Formats: sequence, C-alpha cells, structure tokens
Amino acid sequence: MKLSDRVRLDDAVALRPERFGALAYSYRDRQLFFVDHALLPFVESAGGHTLGEIAGDLEAAGKVTKEALPRLLTVLEGLRRRGVLHVL
Amino acid sequence: MYYDALRQGLAAPICLTWELTYACNLLCVHCLSSSGKRAPDELDTTEAKRLLDEWAAMKVFYINVGGGEPMTRPDFFELMEYSIEQGIGVKFSTNGTLLDRRAARWIASTDYLDVQISVDGASPGVNDPIRGEGSFSRARTAMELLAAEGFPFKVNHVVTRRSFQGLDELHAMVTGMGGQLRVTRLRPSGRGKAVWEALKLTQAQNRELYDWLRAHPDVLTGDSFFHLSALGQPLDGLNMCGAGRIVCCVDPRGDVYACPFVLAPEFKAGNVRDSSFGEVWQGSPLFERLRGWEVGGQCRSCGAYDRCHGGCMAVKHFTGVDLDDPDPECVRKPEAGSTATLLPLALKPRAISPRAPAASRTVGSGPQP
Repeated sequence: MKLSDRVRLDDAVALRPERFGALAYSYRDRQLFFVDHALLPFVESAGGHTLGEIAGDLEAAGKVTKEALPRLLTVLEGLRRRGVLHVL
Repeated sequence: MYYDALRQGLAAPICLTWELTYACNLLCVHCLSSSGKRAPDELDTTEAKRLLDEWAAMKVFYINVGGGEPMTRPDFFELMEYSIEQGIGVKFSTNGTLLDRRAARWIASTDYLDVQISVDGASPGVNDPIRGEGSFSRARTAMELLAAEGFPFKVNHVVTRRSFQGLDELHAMVTGMGGQLRVTRLRPSGRGKAVWEALKLTQAQNRELYDWLRAHPDVLTGDSFFHLSALGQPLDGLNMCGAGRIVCCVDPRGDVYACPFVLAPEFKAGNVRDSSFGEVWQGSPLFERLRGWEVGGQCRSCGAYDRCHGGCMAVKHFTGVDLDDPDPECVRKPEAGSTATLLPLALKPRAISPRAPAASRTVGSGPQP
C-alpha cells in the first residue's frame, strides 16, 4: 500500500462507531475487524483523499506520528488483502 | 489488545442471541433454555419487528436466532426476511426436523442467512438418547436437503463424554456433505443441570479436545472453549466471557439476559416491553457491573489467567461455584467425579413423530416455492 493510494470500504462491509474507534463487519465472509482511532480516518475516507493526504492532516493535528505510519499502512494492507478495503 | 475495550462493553452486542420461542417439538435432555412449551406471552410479530428496527438502528450486524425450535413460529420466515431487509444478518439454529425442500431452497436463495443444525452424536445411537428418538435421521435429512441446494450449512455439536469418540466421524460426515462443523461446550444451564455430571467431558477428554481443535482449524467453536486455552497456545477467538459486554440474549418474552447460558433472574438485565433494548444494553446496572468485573480470587495469580480469564460464568453459576473461583472444568484442577463415559441420564428426551409436522408451512409469508 502506497501513500499515493486512495481506498474505499467494500460494499459488503458495515462500520459501527465504538469507544476504541469502530468495528467493521464483513457480510461477505462474516468476519469482524477492529479499527482503532488512528486507522478510522483512512478506512472511512471513501477515496476522497490519498493515504498521504490523510496522514498529513492527522500529523498536523497531532493525532498520528510519522513513526506510527508504517504500522498503519501494514494494517491497511492487511484489510485490503482480507477484502475489507479496495484501492481505487 | 482489545481485551479491555471488549470487557468494558460495546455500543451494541456483536453476539446477540434471540430465543424466538420456547416451543419445541423435541425435548433434548441438555436444553439450555428448558424449552418444550411456547410461553403464552411471547413477543408477537409487531413487537418482534419493532425490536429488529431498533437493532438495525443500533447497527447490530447479525443475530443468532434460536429457541426452542424457531421454525415452529408461524411468522418465522416473515421475521427472518424482515431482519435481513433491515440489514441484520441472520444465523439460525434448528433441530432440522421442520426443514423441508421448500425451506432449503429459501435458505439457499437468501443472502446473509446462515443455518446451523443441531446434532449431538455421529450416529442415532449417540445422538438420539440426548435429542430424541428419530432426531438424528431427521437432522441428517435436513443436511441432505441443504447439501442438494449447494448450501454451506453448519452443524452445531454439543460435545459430551458420550459423543467425544465420534468427533472425527461427525467431522468427516459434515465436511463430506459440504458443511462445516461447529463444536460447542455443554453447560449446566436449563435442563443441562440435570445431566451435567453424566455428560460433561472428563479432564482427559478436555485435554484431547484442545489438541483436536488446534489440529482442526476449520472447526468453529463460537469461542466456547476458552477455558481450554489455559492448556497452551490460546484457541482462536476472543478467549473471554462476553456476557453483558459483547454478548446478550433476548428471550421469547423480551427478557434480556447477559448471555444465552444464564437464563436466570440474577442475570436478567431488563425487558424490551418495559424499556428500549438500547436502554437495557447501555444502562442496566447488571451489565454495568459485569463490564467492571474481572474474575478474581486464585485465578489472578495463575499463569494461565491471560489466556482463559477465569472461564465461563454460566458454568460456575449453575454448579454453585463463586464467580471469582476457577471454572469447574479448569484444566489445572484435578478430575472431580466419575470418568465413566456411559453414565445414566436423569432425563429422557421426547421421541419425534415419524411424519414431518406441518407447523410453519401454512401460515405467514413463508418461503416462495
């Protein structure tokens, strides 16, 4: 997954806000996924911005550090592989 | 990582069991809800739909529908279709006896609908003394009907000391038909209390089961064996008691309980006729208490605590064990009681009539042929 990518949720995935961020549920394969606060803006971006743009905004707001970015990209890649996210 | 977040409760349950009716054409000796007779004051269709509307608004992703035998309700198909229309997936449990070809076609052609058929032994000789004479054959017919539709059904198996040796055989039978096996833990809930000592696994079987589950990752467990995670590498799942935190149960009358295995007044959080489900889920003193509670006592100093979290609250409650004590089947405790595999049962199930009852086929919207 690259910072220039834009992502959107799979049509069969529902998101529900939770204290820790959100729960995602895939109706396709009946799997639950945990989405923490740092990850949520990427997951619900609906392709509106690139991952880099979102990360920049979060960094500017002090919500994410540069050091945390590789972990977030790894988790996003995991969600893409499980069919939860699609790269546009 | 999410243990604390889950322990403190979610905005809505992720495992919501809805016991649609206590009516049942079987009388299984271990029935956790002591089902058999319909409650005269069960929720009517309008009330049931109102509940589904609320769950949809709360973004409940799916419901586990059970009973009793849910297919005995005349509005069964209507309610299931309504749930799916509202965006709530359905997983329903049935004894399979009322599942005919038309129902199998409806199941196979309906999105977001899963079905699990209860079978408690790999043969009539093991299953029927628990679930009733003729019940194995009828469940098997239901599986064949679903298999003929190419539908990936599940078989739910409450593993007991009598059925344990047949696990491989049952697994082969189910997967051979394109299904998936789900193995769940016997609880001393409902009528299960009367047969608990005779049917609970021996400690040797519990240890073997742990290895068997680890060797069969395709077998589902509904997270019900987390007490066995104390034996080593945790089993797949959340490995914690979710009662009132991520799990709850609504009974046919609209009573809300912390989990389907503790249908007891001490664990009743409210009723959806008195307040909304959301108010009960978010504000009941019982659920608040459960969300702040962790098993204490000697479990806290045990090296396995992070894997089993003290075990199942329901098993403790119905065996008279303090909730802060270890699970009665704690794998680090010595064997208690007999290890014989064929102990007499205190209850007898009801034999099923050889003919399929016509219940639920003629009333309500029903599946289209």
